[in-house]
Amino acid sequence: MELVETDLGATLSTLLGLAWLIPLGSFVAILFFGPKMGPHGRNSAWVATGAIGTSFVLSLFAFGNWMVTHPPVSGHHGDDHGVSEEAGHDDHAAWDVQDRAGKTPASFVNFAEEHGEAASDGHADEHGDDHAEAHAADGHAEHHDDHGHGEHAAEKIAYSGDWYRLYSSPSLVLSIGWYIDSLTVFLFVMVTFIATCIHVYASGYMHDELHDITDHEVTLASGEHLHRPGRFPRFFQALSLFCFSMLGIVIAGNLAMVFMFWELVGICSWFLIGFYFERKSASTAANKAFIVNRVGDFGMLIGLMALWGALGTLHFGDSVSVDADGHQVVQPGLFSLVRPAENGHALQVPDGMVVAAAANRVGDIASVVSPEEARAVVEEQVSGWRARGYGNWLLVIAGLGIFCGCMGKSAQVPLHVWLPDAMEGPTPVSALVHSATMVAAGVYLTGRFYPVLSPDVLVVIAYIGAITLFIAATIALVCTDIKRVLAYSTVSQLGYMMLALGLGGWVAGLFHLVTHAFFKSLLFMCSGSVIHACHTNDMRRMGGLLKKMPYTGWTMLVGCLAIIGAGIPFSLGGLHIGLSGYYSKDAILAQALVYSRVNESHALLWYAAAGGAAMTAFYMFRLWFMTFLGEPRDEHVAEHVHESPAVMTAPLVVLAVMAVIAGWSIGPLGVAALLEQARPLGTAAGMTGGGLLTAAVTVPAEAASHAPEVHVYATWVAFATASSGVLLAAVFYVWRLINPGLIATTLRPVYTFLENKWYFDEIYEWIFVKPAHGVAMLASANDRGIIDSILHLVAWASRQLAAVDAWVDRVVVDGVVNTLASVTWSSGLRLRDLQTGRLRQYVMFIVVGTVAIFLLASMMLSTTVASP
Amino acid sequence: MSQPAFWPLTLILFLPAIVAFVLSLPIIPKAREELIRWIALATTSVVFVISLMVAVPALGGFGGALFSLGDPDMQLVVKLPWIDAFGIEYFLGVDGISMPLVVLTTFLSVLACGASWTISKHVKAYFVLFLLLETGMIGVFVSLDFFLFYVFWEVMLLPMYFLIGIWGGPRREYAAIKFFLYTLLGSVLMLLAILMLYFNSDVSKLSGEQLLATHVVSPLLEPAMQADRIAELQASETPLHTFNLLALAAIGQMPNSPFATAQVFGYSLEVVAFLLLLIGFVIKVPVVPVHTWLPDAHVEAPTPISMILAGVLLKLGGYGIIRICYPICPGGGFELAWLVCGLGVLSMVYGAFAALAQKDFKRMVAYSSVSHMGYVMLGLGVWSAVAGREYAWESWAQGVNGAMFQMLAHGISSAGMFFMVGVLYDRVHHRNLEEFGGIFGKMPVYAGLAVAVFFAGLGLPGLCGFIGEVLVTLSAWNYSHMLAVISAFTVILTAGYILWAIQRVYLGAEYRGPHEEALTPMTQRELAIATPLVFLAVLFGVYPQSLFDYVTPSVNQQVETLADWTRDVRDPELRAKAEAMQTTEVSVVNQVVVNSGVSTQ
Repeated sequence: MELVETDLGATLSTLLGLAWLIPLGSFVAILFFGPKMGPHGRNSAWVATGAIGTSFVLSLFAFGNWMVTHPPVSGHHGDDHGVSEEAGHDDHAAWDVQDRAGKTPASFVNFAEEHGEAASDGHADEHGDDHAEAHAADGHAEHHDDHGHGEHAAEKIAYSGDWYRLYSSPSLVLSIGWYIDSLTVFLFVMVTFIATCIHVYASGYMHDELHDITDHEVTLASGEHLHRPGRFPRFFQALSLFCFSMLGIVIAGNLAMVFMFWELVGICSWFLIGFYFERKSASTAANKAFIVNRVGDFGMLIGLMALWGALGTLHFGDSVSVDADGHQVVQPGLFSLVRPAENGHALQVPDGMVVAAAANRVGDIASVVSPEEARAVVEEQVSGWRARGYGNWLLVIAGLGIFCGCMGKSAQVPLHVWLPDAMEGPTPVSALVHSATMVAAGVYLTGRFYPVLSPDVLVVIAYIGAITLFIAATIALVCTDIKRVLAYSTVSQLGYMMLALGLGGWVAGLFHLVTHAFFKSLLFMCSGSVIHACHTNDMRRMGGLLKKMPYTGWTMLVGCLAIIGAGIPFSLGGLHIGLSGYYSKDAILAQALVYSRVNESHALLWYAAAGGAAMTAFYMFRLWFMTFLGEPRDEHVAEHVHESPAVMTAPLVVLAVMAVIAGWSIGPLGVAALLEQARPLGTAAGMTGGGLLTAAVTVPAEAASHAPEVHVYATWVAFATASSGVLLAAVFYVWRLINPGLIATTLRPVYTFLENKWYFDEIYEWIFVKPAHGVAMLASANDRGIIDSILHLVAWASRQLAAVDAWVDRVVVDGVVNTLASVTWSSGLRLRDLQTGRLRQYVMFIVVGTVAIFLLASMMLSTTVASP
Repeated sequence: MSQPAFWPLTLILFLPAIVAFVLSLPIIPKAREELIRWIALATTSVVFVISLMVAVPALGGFGGALFSLGDPDMQLVVKLPWIDAFGIEYFLGVDGISMPLVVLTTFLSVLACGASWTISKHVKAYFVLFLLLETGMIGVFVSLDFFLFYVFWEVMLLPMYFLIGIWGGPRREYAAIKFFLYTLLGSVLMLLAILMLYFNSDVSKLSGEQLLATHVVSPLLEPAMQADRIAELQASETPLHTFNLLALAAIGQMPNSPFATAQVFGYSLEVVAFLLLLIGFVIKVPVVPVHTWLPDAHVEAPTPISMILAGVLLKLGGYGIIRICYPICPGGGFELAWLVCGLGVLSMVYGAFAALAQKDFKRMVAYSSVSHMGYVMLGLGVWSAVAGREYAWESWAQGVNGAMFQMLAHGISSAGMFFMVGVLYDRVHHRNLEEFGGIFGKMPVYAGLAVAVFFAGLGLPGLCGFIGEVLVTLSAWNYSHMLAVISAFTVILTAGYILWAIQRVYLGAEYRGPHEEALTPMTQRELAIATPLVFLAVLFGVYPQSLFDYVTPSVNQQVETLADWTRDVRDPELRAKAEAMQTTEVSVVNQVVVNSGVSTQ
């Protein structure tokens, strides 16, 4: 069994590794030979598309391998919608939930502890008629029993390893490696699939770049529009690099690698947003995106430090190495450190963090005993320190830090400001990078990193998500730029995902990530098709396009229905039928409902989620109605409108199909079940904790939200809010019962506030950008004004000193010497008179001299003798 | 006594100087400028090839000298008496720390020589000085005698002064004298420290093993002669002073080291000497607040000299700290770790802010150097990081390895950035960031290479700037959370000033400055200089092990030695001191108790 498992790990890592690297090859090829690929580099599109298509095929292989060896047991979510509710089963676990729902917070946790992890097995039993699956489930349980993880670990299968080490020392390993579970495999399929569609679409959309083009948005100083050669290959070059970077994040086996590819997708995004770099707005938006993301990365770095400093590893999974003696050494990864098997995979502050937080105490111990003894004493003390809360903060900082990075990437308030501006990039970029994949990377990482997040951090995540979904939705209500509506809608939906994760809805959040990727990339590509036809982004100049652009119009309607979660709110013959968003959004609402029942002080989160659903429906249908229904508002625009070529509409249709079916489950096969398989160990149970940032909270087990009592209510609320949103939009824009302009005038302050996007940009300009430039000016001025002035002063003083010195030299020193010389000279002259040549006179001098010397000497001698 | 490394090392070191001497003779007429250029390029190339052959095992060595990867000790040692009266020696050698820096120097010299083609004023004098400068720089990296080190340090200073002062921009004289005086101040302080250390050193206190390891007694001698010599040295009645850097380090790390016990102005000599040396070196690095010579020197210096200045000269400071300050005065490093780290972080943040404010392209790049070299300081400083009470040397080693990597990476990226600025300046003769724009459209190949180089400076993963920054920033966490957070904050500013500069220069619809017609594509010569830099930036980014293979063994050995020193020498001393304090305190307390007892009675 184990051998087979290892083989599968090797197969998967090879397949996905290739799928990951092929776009890099395409990037390098286009980088060097792009312009030589056919006329104007036309064939570079085929190179890039072929590469990503191959990656898709490889990912599919990997997926097939996975499904054969690890068929999902049962998707609880799909079950609730699809089969189980009406199946009339008497599953204890499920009824337990129902009985206990709404009682005390503890009941949810208890339930989870008692039954939570086994819940899926229970479901598997429901489908007992399907022997193969039940058997498979048992197989996994056995498999993990072999490894001593116990039956609770039955769900999670993951492979991890390293390909390449950038840096390796006893303290830190920076490596390129993999962590593959069903989430990785599925996201590979999803990303490569959507990317392939968008590559095909882009080869049509970007055809302008095949020849010289005139950019009407850029006016030169001469008053003319910019005329420039096309850059077709450069676009696909950047797109390939992006695919490589994005897949790198998904497959990453450790946080350091995530961080590296995190930065790389950032720079790809910079290239793609700034593709029309001649436009000032585009290059500014590109810079803004990168810098705002770096703000998030700043937090992420702190998280990395907190983790590395205390735990010494950034690997997700355990890594097995062979030591010098040939023994296998298991280096625990982050997940097993934070949720050790011996603790039943429940969250606990890992030893490393406890010790790091208690550094002073460790120091005290080490100062009295030898290092070896100290180690033993510290080991004894750890659990006591943990109980007293040492290291709690470190865990929270690590969680918040990593989440900070996710906020930047996934455009969560307050770091959401870059995403709407990022719409300056070509529309395929918006569809791929800024809706389906890169911006979802933050949600993905939050999900991947989920086991390490403590209840405190989860509360923060939930609130950030709720605030984001609300603020973005309100702004989307008044936007008139078709892409910006979608951009704010993306921000809002990302908020939903974060909210779900923060509330304990791990599967719900990632499920929404998947469904959203399909319908939002569809919506963006539809908007691109519209822009392609109208040459404008302004919805006020559109209208009545449905007749001229039927493919675009109808597929976009599918997208709109998917995003609002359209579906039948009751079961039909045991089946719940709806579009993809219907399943994922209901799951989020159900989780929010459970959460608000358990934690009554956080009921706001539920209202935000429900209210957001209404706003989503309103702004999406406002968009669709304004664009496709009614009479054309601008004749000039309407004249030229035509349906896009097949190369663009075909991907729309494919994605529309996906937007409908992505949420469906057939038997046990479905996204939700697949995700359930990837659920991090120990997170199926709820947890109670916190107290650092908020009062203690209870994170309910996700299984609790599947209770019919909860679910039915949530579904109806979702239906009601969505329908009211659509109705309201129809009242405004189809039936014209109320003039929206009138409302805007009546509520002028609110409207202005929303139109200015809550003034985030202006506020940031004043509290961050300007002060930063101010400090920069100060630093620069300090160099010239103060440091250099002091230097110049010193130099000046030295020169003055030198001048004084020169004067002293000239006047005093030279003066003395000169005076001495002249005195000597003149006295010499006078003494010359003495030199008479007469001997008698000389004898006379000698005698006088001798006497004088004798007298002097005796005087001096006497004084010396007398003195004591 | 045959010393296999004598000729190879001496050739690397002195070939440029010899050629410079020959060039300066009248046999080569001044007017034959092209010939002089080619001679200089050939010389630097030969020196580069020799250094590469010595450094890279796969190339098989040169003249019997081959650097052995993985050996942490000093290799290829050359040692001949020079001024016997003071024990000054012609003492050279390389280890994993200096070898890559030597190759970086010879490599950048070739590129800078190529970049000097546009120099048309006093060509002969220029290349004479340029070659002298190369000898000076290499000399600093390979000298193991402190006096020789100092000589080369000064040798390097003069050509630099003239190169900036004669071939520089409008304010060249101001910049040159500023550079000269700053560095001279550092040199004077260094000289003071050298003399202090010299007169307090005593080789006779070293053990026989140490005498051999430090090459005081040549290991190449016959064993019998070795023993005689060791006995002779150890028997010496008078102190035997030395300039031998390795011996000084061994003395500095002894228990009861004379450097620790001697007092200067009431402080222990090792702290004072550390501080004096540190000031001398950080002026070169440079760190805030002694950095203001750098922007001026860079702005005024011609492009190739800026490349050398940023690529090599700044590294001399970092090299000095790692080679001299810490091993010889470990106590000083232990006491002043906060200073080194603090200066590093201050430079990072301050340099980044100042870069953000610059309007002059070259000045902006110069300030980015201040910011990037701050990482080096921080990495070297966390040397004294202590986790709990255990001297977790792995974490320090990571910081120092990161700092070394950062130095080498910055050597590539900063030289590249200055070259890229120079390419534009050669065409349009201005550097005002507000008057560029649209270069991507006009010079796509150049702009692509330039953006790659700037991204390396930005610390983008996959390019050389990333690894060093990550290692240093992470290792700082164990030293001080606050410093680590501030250093992490710098990544935002770095992105800010680099991307903003890229936007203003390369992006945009049209060029907004004078001489638009001069914006022609890169020449072959320029491509030949830019491409290797970009290639290396990528290579070191994706295969950093190529450098760590050199750096890590030596760095780890040094750090581990110093960690052991902290544990075995310094810590017992501190504990003894603390206990002594405690006993006095206790006795004082007892006294007070007794007294008060008496008084109440």
